[in-house]
Amino acid sequence: MDQLEERMGPEDSNTTMLVVAWLWVGLPLAWGIAVTIANATKLFQ
Amino acid sequence: MAFFDRSNAMAKPGFNRWLVPPAALCIHLCIGEAYAFSVFTKPMAQAIGITAPKPGADWTVPELGWIFSLAILVLGLSAAFGGKWVERAGPRKAMFVAALCFSGGLILAGIGVNAHLLWLVYLGYGVVGGCGLGIGYISPVSTLIKWFPDRPGLATGTAIMGFGGGAMIGAPLSVLLMKHFANPSGTGVAQTMFVLGVLYFIWMVVGSLIVRIPQEGWKPVGYIAPVASQAMITSKNVVLERALRTPQFYLLWLVLCLNVTAGIGVIAQASLMIQDIFGVTAVAAAGFVGLISLFNMGGRIFWASLSDFVGRKRTYAIFFIAGAVLYAFVPTWGHLHAVALFVLSFVLIISMYGGGFATIPAYLRDLYGTVNVGAIHGALLTAWSVAGIAGPVLINYIREYEINHGVAKADAYSVTMYVMAALLVVGLLCDLAVRPVDERHYLEAQTVT
Repeated sequence: MDQLEERMGPEDSNTTMLVVAWLWVGLPLAWGIAVTIANATKLFQ
Repeated sequence: MAFFDRSNAMAKPGFNRWLVPPAALCIHLCIGEAYAFSVFTKPMAQAIGITAPKPGADWTVPELGWIFSLAILVLGLSAAFGGKWVERAGPRKAMFVAALCFSGGLILAGIGVNAHLLWLVYLGYGVVGGCGLGIGYISPVSTLIKWFPDRPGLATGTAIMGFGGGAMIGAPLSVLLMKHFANPSGTGVAQTMFVLGVLYFIWMVVGSLIVRIPQEGWKPVGYIAPVASQAMITSKNVVLERALRTPQFYLLWLVLCLNVTAGIGVIAQASLMIQDIFGVTAVAAAGFVGLISLFNMGGRIFWASLSDFVGRKRTYAIFFIAGAVLYAFVPTWGHLHAVALFVLSFVLIISMYGGGFATIPAYLRDLYGTVNVGAIHGALLTAWSVAGIAGPVLINYIREYEINHGVAKADAYSVTMYVMAALLVVGLLCDLAVRPVDERHYLEAQTVT
């Protein structure tokens, strides 16, 4: 079991897939947040 | 369909557990579109008249309001009744079914809008889409808890943050698409729903492809399971049927229901409320709604992560005490015309509303273990269905009653705010009454005897 734990640690990660997966969800979310902040600033104008 | 089976979703050595949160976000960011459904209300209410509602022919706003209410009701019911199936089928199949239901529901609703058949919109978005919401909402939760036994609050908070953030993508995207498809003979709602249905299906299926279940007995390197001295965190397990027989389940049901009731009414009426109280413009009110969305999302990850350090019970105690105090002061900010303090109070309240959703799976995991936590969480979400109706009804009816009895619009919310504060005090009492689950309910105890 210890061996399995060692092999499944983050050091063995597929970094490219990790980056692509986070970009896949992160980019639309960042766009949504940017639009929302732009609208929210109108509250104080 | 064998590809989607639980056995084919087991992680191989070398799989990085940080791939699971984006898989969960693929689902939650899509189904969170439900919070943005109100962007369709106005164009759907003038689907025949196009530039203005045509009385007698067009659907009314109250008729359209039932679409969202029905979806939230079915969300709770499908999460409650589908929880056991989700545990059995595994996250990949559950996410795929959620994608089929949610996207299929949107497309059915689009056909309903195109043919001007309201029952088909109810069936599509409310019932079929609602099933997608419920199954999708719970599908990644227990998997995340198993991958992150060291930080369950952070893990579930990340996923459930997506449900809050989904509206921030869904609302502007829907507006853009409706603008693109609108023409002199149509509002573009149906075409927008078709495109959203296809886009969300692709996004959700990607999530179902990425997700993996940890091997039996896997734990993070260096992780040590909680010791017995942490009375509120068990290392044992309770199955759904036994959990339903514990007082803790009903106390947490009330905790969630009261926390959601206090927040959801504000979300539904935020724009109208700030216009009534301070007389701000509709554009500024939309900005307030945007701020609320941001804090609804941010609160989910902030409070759930914090709960990993301060404990779930204390986190909810903070929600209820701070929420009650903030609600009690809202009428004063109205009288003083202190817009900034009013906005600050509400964004904090809404952050705790979101935090309540995100912290509850970890609270359940602490009390009942990991074996059936998805199914127990699903059953608890019926509290959301009740609160989804109770919150807006409380705000709307008390406001109407006050205005009909001669109270000025700006003061019509004062009673509601005090009612919300009182509800949160009751929630605090329920939270304080939560104790560790009796040993006899543990699966391990039943196996031994």
